[in-house]
Amino acid sequence: MRRLAIYLAAASLYAAMLAVTWSITSRQAWEKTQSQLDFSVRDLHNTLAGAIDTMLSHIASTAVRHVGTAHFIPMDHMKEIAKELDIDELCIISREGIVISSNDPHSIDVDMTSIPVLEEFMALTNGTTTTVSQPFRPHANNPQVRSKYLGAPFPGGDGYVQVGLYEGTLQKMLPAVLGSIFDEWLLGNTGFFLCADRTTGKLFSNPSRHRNEAKTLAEAGYDVSTASEREFLADGKATGVTFVQTLFGEKCFCRAFLFAGHRFVAALPKREFFGTRTMLVSVLSVLLFGVLAAFTLSLDRIFRDSDRLKKFYAAEDERRAKDMEIAKTIQDSALPRPLPDSPCFRIEAAMQTAREVGGDFYDYFPLDATHLAFLVADVSGKGITAALYMMTAKTLIKNKLLAVRDPAAALTEANEELCANNPASMFLTAWVGVLDLESGIVTFANAGHNPPVMISGSQPAEYVRKMSGPLLAFLDDAKYAAQTVKLGIGDALFLYTDGVTEAMDEKGELFGEQRTLDALNAVETPDAHALCGVVRSVVAAFSEGLQQADDMTVLAVRYLRPPTVYSRAFPPTQEGIAAASRFLDDVLGKSAWREARVTGLGSTLHVILDEACSNIVKHSGATDFTLDIEIMDSPSGVRITFSDNGTAYDPLAHLDPDTTLPASERAIGGLGILMIKKMASSVQYHRSRSRNFLVVERTEQT
Amino acid sequence: MTIEKSLVDGKLTLKVSGRLDTNTSPDLLAALKCDGATSVEFDFADLEYISSAGLRVLMAAQRSVMEGNGKVTIARPNEMVRGVLDMTGLSSVFEIV
Repeated sequence: MRRLAIYLAAASLYAAMLAVTWSITSRQAWEKTQSQLDFSVRDLHNTLAGAIDTMLSHIASTAVRHVGTAHFIPMDHMKEIAKELDIDELCIISREGIVISSNDPHSIDVDMTSIPVLEEFMALTNGTTTTVSQPFRPHANNPQVRSKYLGAPFPGGDGYVQVGLYEGTLQKMLPAVLGSIFDEWLLGNTGFFLCADRTTGKLFSNPSRHRNEAKTLAEAGYDVSTASEREFLADGKATGVTFVQTLFGEKCFCRAFLFAGHRFVAALPKREFFGTRTMLVSVLSVLLFGVLAAFTLSLDRIFRDSDRLKKFYAAEDERRAKDMEIAKTIQDSALPRPLPDSPCFRIEAAMQTAREVGGDFYDYFPLDATHLAFLVADVSGKGITAALYMMTAKTLIKNKLLAVRDPAAALTEANEELCANNPASMFLTAWVGVLDLESGIVTFANAGHNPPVMISGSQPAEYVRKMSGPLLAFLDDAKYAAQTVKLGIGDALFLYTDGVTEAMDEKGELFGEQRTLDALNAVETPDAHALCGVVRSVVAAFSEGLQQADDMTVLAVRYLRPPTVYSRAFPPTQEGIAAASRFLDDVLGKSAWREARVTGLGSTLHVILDEACSNIVKHSGATDFTLDIEIMDSPSGVRITFSDNGTAYDPLAHLDPDTTLPASERAIGGLGILMIKKMASSVQYHRSRSRNFLVVERTEQT
Repeated sequence: MTIEKSLVDGKLTLKVSGRLDTNTSPDLLAALKCDGATSVEFDFADLEYISSAGLRVLMAAQRSVMEGNGKVTIARPNEMVRGVLDMTGLSSVFEIV
């Protein structure tokens, strides 16, 4: 639709410009034609008048010479002289201005000084004027006849001769007077003059370039009925009206005059000036067409390009939205799922993504049964690049932590790799901690991240401000130092990203660290869920209704108590039994909390373990067995669950060996189960999911 | 587990320290093989505990000395070890000093 409009507009412009050009050049051509005709007709007039004057002067001079002086000559003689000179009227006027001789009786005794029209002839008597000529005028005595008079003085101005010529007479003389001057007479470059007898139309001159083409005006193409003719030399000034005729097959602008029984036609072919116009307009039309077409095409292209750009930007917007969606999905998918409830700790985290997804992330995962790793990080930048880099960083840090277990070493190694492969020059801050569930000690390393807050039940919340290492992915030889902070039973640590402290209210004020502390202090029990919740809601209230620029992440971890259950799988070998034994030592020796609950039980438990494991290894055909060691609080003691995937076997269903027999008569087997039964507070067997479970409890009271 | 072994006048003394269980008992069984020993004394002063695998070594020792009318003596067992011997009826089989 718009294209059509553009092309229509261009076409209209083209037409308008051509029309204007056409109109301007037409007018110029018309004006030139007019002025050329004006000039030429005047030229013709002057030439014709000059030729007649020359002829009459000659006649008058001849008469002067013939008469000699101004004296009376009889009329008959005067008639003879006039006839001889081929003149209509001949008068001899005295110095006083009286017609003393004439071939016309009406003129005798006429006083030239008394007739205004004739008075100018008196100049001939001043002795210096040589000729006085008057144009053709209606004759004084016969207005039907047009006549012209010319006077020449006798020597010394002693009277003069006046000759008069009638138009009718001139008609006969004209071809002789003009001769063939018209033949070679050009009008402009291509124009010409025609002269023809008024009644017969016979051409007495033919322009040289059309010689022999026509004998009459009609044959030349002249149409009298459409011509606009006028009498010539009436006042010697008017040059007539232009009209159009087709002469010699060519359209001409003409002016025509009737004079002395002849038609004089000045013809200027239209092409003389209009040809230029046509050529100019043709050239211009081509040029203009080219320019306009090019312009229109480029305009069209510009519009189409702009359409394409608009589409492109729309697609780009869509793509960005999609990118953001992808980035959000990546970010969300990168977040860990909640861990199963543990009696030892609670961890809770939440992330609120900004409209333009930032690079916040958090993570938490057990390194083993007694170590919980957790971290909060913030990648510089936004969008999909940040999200992808965040993925990389997150995976890297997690893998390093799982491999080396120490946050400082993990960050140092992760940093090297992040620096080595960082095409987008991104960087990130991170705070990584590992909580030892046995001791409550958090070993951590900080890479330029906001300090976390320590919340203990008894003390006001405070920032854990310790030396921080540089940003990650910034210095490839950065080394991170491990630091520690101890969480007592029930204490919590609160981590966050700058989306919290840099949240803005409508006045542009930042939420800041103090408000964060205040919010955390307002929580009665530092429950992880409550800590995250209170900060999020206070920040939300603070920046109500304002779109925040950055992601906001909060993470709280609360230490509840050391772990009570330890599980491990072992191979069904002698070495597996040894490892299980070490595992038991390990578990029992872990914490004061535990030691208080297992005092004096160690050897007994070891014996039970040795018996149960030996049975499994020697008799069950299992491919693995596991131990769950649980420290019981009330009554305090230990429960060990042995499980294996061997053949179903209930050791309790067998008879105890007879221990009263002499040693030589004893069967050696079967003692182990007996010992377990005797040493344990309770023993139970069950089988489920194709596994044997032997549950042995030993409490202090036994 | 460590074993200090000495043979004086046909009496083999094995001082066992640490834990006597399924993993360590083969070592003790190996240490029993001694020419010229007519009686065996296990010194359990530093023994943490004994499992049935250890008891089997004790019984094996008993069998080997019985052929020459020798005897097996268990010296200075701790409470835990004593309990095991009691509960398995072996305290009546061995001489406990």
